[in-house]
Amino acid sequence: MGMNWHVVVDNMPILAKGALLTLELTAGAVAIGVIIGLFMALARLSKRKVVRAGAIAYIDFFRGTPLLVQIFLVYFGIPMLLKWQTMPDNYQYTAGILAMGLNSGAYIAEIFRAGIQSIDRGQTEAARSLGMTQAQALRYVILPQAFKRTIPPLGNEFIALLKDSSLLSIIAIQELFYTGKIIVGRTYQPLPMYLAVALYYLVMTQLIAQWVAYMERRLGKNDLG
Amino acid sequence: MILVKDLHKYFGKLEVLKGINCHIKEKEVVVVIGPSGSGKSTFLRCLNKLEEPTRGEITVDGIPLNSDVNVNAIRREVGMVFQRFNLFPHMTALENIILAPEVVRKTNKAEARKNGMELLAKVGLYDKADEYPDRLSGGQQQRVAIARALAMKPKIMLFDEATSALDPEMVGEVLSVMKDLAREGMTMVVVTHEMGFAREVGDRVIFMDEGIIMEEGKPNEVFENPKNPRTQAFLSKIL
Ligand SMILES: Nc1ncnc2c1ncn2[C@@H]1O[C@H](COP(=O)(O)OP(=O)(O)OP(=O)(O)O)[C@@H](O)[C@H]1O
Ligand SMILES: [Mg+2]
Repeated sequence: MGMNWHVVVDNMPILAKGALLTLELTAGAVAIGVIIGLFMALARLSKRKVVRAGAIAYIDFFRGTPLLVQIFLVYFGIPMLLKWQTMPDNYQYTAGILAMGLNSGAYIAEIFRAGIQSIDRGQTEAARSLGMTQAQALRYVILPQAFKRTIPPLGNEFIALLKDSSLLSIIAIQELFYTGKIIVGRTYQPLPMYLAVALYYLVMTQLIAQWVAYMERRLGKNDLG
Repeated sequence: MILVKDLHKYFGKLEVLKGINCHIKEKEVVVVIGPSGSGKSTFLRCLNKLEEPTRGEITVDGIPLNSDVNVNAIRREVGMVFQRFNLFPHMTALENIILAPEVVRKTNKAEARKNGMELLAKVGLYDKADEYPDRLSGGQQQRVAIARALAMKPKIMLFDEATSALDPEMVGEVLSVMKDLAREGMTMVVVTHEMGFAREVGDRVIFMDEGIIMEEGKPNEVFENPKNPRTQAFLSKIL
């Protein structure tokens, strides 16, 4: 079987479409993950034991089990819990983003927790001594500083999730990897096609890394606090 | 103004404050001295409830500190200045000062800024309003921190070794702001090693050691004729 690099050139646009979907799914999941992560990080740091235990259970579960299993749990779990007879059109996208969002929420929770804990205790004390409530101290003093420090690890999480999103091919989401697989099935050119797929992933992860580095420089200008 | 009765504080099994009694009157400037680890900071931090007393009673401006309800109300009346400034690094000097008035006292922005600029002028930093803390010297940062505490219009100011982290040449500028405050009649509790300050503006000196008040009195009495052997030993080391 000879190598046919034309296949790659011919299928560039279709792969690009898959890559765009990969990017969108990942961005959606990270957005959900940031919201979940923020609440879970705060819960994790709560003084109340029950709240803390709940957050720990959540974080441990999603970090301690495979994303692939979580995708199936969500994908098959929701219809069962909601007693759907049939799955709505395009349901796999919702399930896929949700599963990845739940998963990254656990990782981002730990990123935020580390960020919050890295802020000097004196900052909270200064805020509290001025009469701010715990919530006000968090909102105006701690989180703005913590967010800045979490940009690099958040970028890493974005990149890790972008790569892991190839797992969504298992529920027939036509993201980048799935698209490549289909083309291979049609053309019998696995090596050139998967190399092209890998290259697309690489370009995306590199771009994200650059963007994160840029954000970090821009936000870090005023203080290294 | 501040009434402390039989205050005890434990950190785990370690008893850091072993029954403090004292009464700080309005407009009084009380200087707290004592060796490292004697509990000075802990005592100060109990006065605005940054530390929870284990036992005992504290009343600030007529409000008992025991009830959890009004912790923030107390803190609004009691300003605190820290050894390491603790300015908010992501905000300019002026933003540092107006944050609490805006979010805690709900002062409108224009008024908060006006007050903030007046306070900056008072501490000699009118032209540094838009600088971030990392662009200010230690002495300037500490003066902003004092202005920040004053912006809440507190009735009492607590200073915990406000000049200890400063290079020697900057100590004077911070002390002079503190002296001005004392002269204006602010009620102050000042933990410091600056004996000159204690003599000049202190109404009373409290010597703390091992979690209790060993000796107290007028600065001259305590410095010239310390009665307690521990006070004598401490003073002979630092004077
Ligand atoms: N959060 C804490 N947890 C445990 N122990 C503490 C805590 N804060 C203070 N201590 C201990 O309590 C004792 C008194 O500390 P404190 O800071 O009040 O002393 P200090 O008189 O202010 O000393 P310094 O002059 O060094 O500032 C010390 O032994 C200290 O190690
Ligand atoms: Mg201390």
